[in-house]
Amino acid sequence: MKYMILMYGSQQDYDGMVGKAVSGQSSWSAADFAAMGAFMESFGKDLAESGELVDAQGLTAPVHARRIRLRGGVPVVTDGPYAETEEVLAGYWLVDCDSFDRATEIAARLTNCPGPDHVRDRAMVDVRPVAESRDELEP
Amino acid sequence: MGHTEAEDLRRLAPQVLGAVVRRYGHFDTAEDAVQEALLAAATQWPAEGIPGNPRGWLITVASRRLTDLLRSEQARQRREEATARQILPDQLLAPPADSPARESDDTLILLFLCCHPALSPASQIALTLRAVGGLTTAQIARAFLVPEATMTRRISRAKQQVAGSGIPFRMPARPERGQRLSVVLHVLYLIFTEGYAATSGPGLLHPDLSAEAIRLARIVYRLLPGDGEVAGLLALMLLTDARRPARTGPAGELIPLAEQDRSRWNASYIAEGVALITGALSHGSPGPYQLQAAIAAIHDEAASSETTDWPQIVALYELLLHINDNPVVALNHAVAVAMVQGPRAGLDLLRRLGTDRRITGGHRLEAVRAHLLEMTGQRAAAREAYQAAARRAMSLPQQRYLNARAARLADDQ
Repeated sequence: MKYMILMYGSQQDYDGMVGKAVSGQSSWSAADFAAMGAFMESFGKDLAESGELVDAQGLTAPVHARRIRLRGGVPVVTDGPYAETEEVLAGYWLVDCDSFDRATEIAARLTNCPGPDHVRDRAMVDVRPVAESRDELEP
Repeated sequence: MGHTEAEDLRRLAPQVLGAVVRRYGHFDTAEDAVQEALLAAATQWPAEGIPGNPRGWLITVASRRLTDLLRSEQARQRREEATARQILPDQLLAPPADSPARESDDTLILLFLCCHPALSPASQIALTLRAVGGLTTAQIARAFLVPEATMTRRISRAKQQVAGSGIPFRMPARPERGQRLSVVLHVLYLIFTEGYAATSGPGLLHPDLSAEAIRLARIVYRLLPGDGEVAGLLALMLLTDARRPARTGPAGELIPLAEQDRSRWNASYIAEGVALITGALSHGSPGPYQLQAAIAAIHDEAASSETTDWPQIVALYELLLHINDNPVVALNHAVAVAMVQGPRAGLDLLRRLGTDRRITGGHRLEAVRAHLLEMTGQRAAAREAYQAAARRAMSLPQQRYLNARAARLADDQ
């Protein structure tokens, strides 16, 4: 069964990660960033070794996003559609494992990810079962 | 930073900008970010050493800088409750079957962007020199003798126009590619001629712009080796620039072709130009740059003005006039005819040109008339024509040359 583990972050979180102090909160030090990198690496390695990892990707800063919508029937592109404190998708892991509980266990490990306290306090991850086919979505 | 390192940086500039725009869009802001990355490299590399992957280093630094710049732009926009919006170009909705462009094509795509037909030639030139040539705004301003603030405004307006036009970062579609390429070649040609004969100001030569135009033309030739007009343009630049060492005297005065010391011409440029144009002419019907290069090659290979193959030059100018009804070409044709059939035949042709408003305002028509009148022995009329030409000439060396010819005729009488 496939599950997607989703991680969120705002543009402000990205700013803090590259060393900019944001609204009075301390930014990430080089050591914080290195520790986070090492944690993510071993997290991914463990999943690969257990055979549960399908795919994992991190996304660039929200400021690079483009949003496409119809306006009067015409597709219109908006650059950088998010407010700077808006929490948006920052990265994901697609895992293939035995149960929702196992996927939750995997996701819970992410709470050990090192970082400044104010970031750890606000951090959250979601786990969502992947629809195996269209039938699953039908009423 | 040494000469070579600076050149390497400028060679990397369009590749880095291409990579950043391809990945993140935002042509205008990305261009600023790349300039800042180049500046960082110019200051950091000499002290800290050149990184193992200079291109990758520049892309990383430019991408980070782009994020910063977009952040501050977006914060500003949000305060004004305005959002950057663009209509999605039709081409993006229906991607072509073409395979994605390779890294090396980025420089060419950038050239097409900078030479967008919506921009004025002055903007196309300035943007090309900055975004593809990697020159700073200050350098471009100096080359064109305008205040830096003026050039800054011109370049940022041009960038915004390109970014706002919503054209995707890819090669123009096949049907319009030929037309767009001819704009690119024209812009490179204008950069070259601006460097070769400054239109105003005290110095006649702007060596940097000619060299830059040749460098850019070499890049286009490397990317499109099969295009005859690209080869023709590069050949034309080399064959013209080859005469630079003999074109001015010790005091900066102009020396006409017939009186130049041909041993001072750049033999390697001539050899390279002749090889290029010979190769290009061997297939297909030649376009205007190839014909002009062929004419330049005949001049460059002749030992003197007298032994020049003027009938062949007349024939080439006639082919050129068929393609392009240009008064400057007609003027040069008249000179060549005068060399074959005598000055009176040339003067007859000039009389027909005398009503063409595109040329009557400049100094060239009067200057040629003066030369031909001098050849026929009509000294007083020749002197008047030289003086009229001098009044219309834009650059000081041209004025001095024409006045000196006029004065010589007065002294001899």
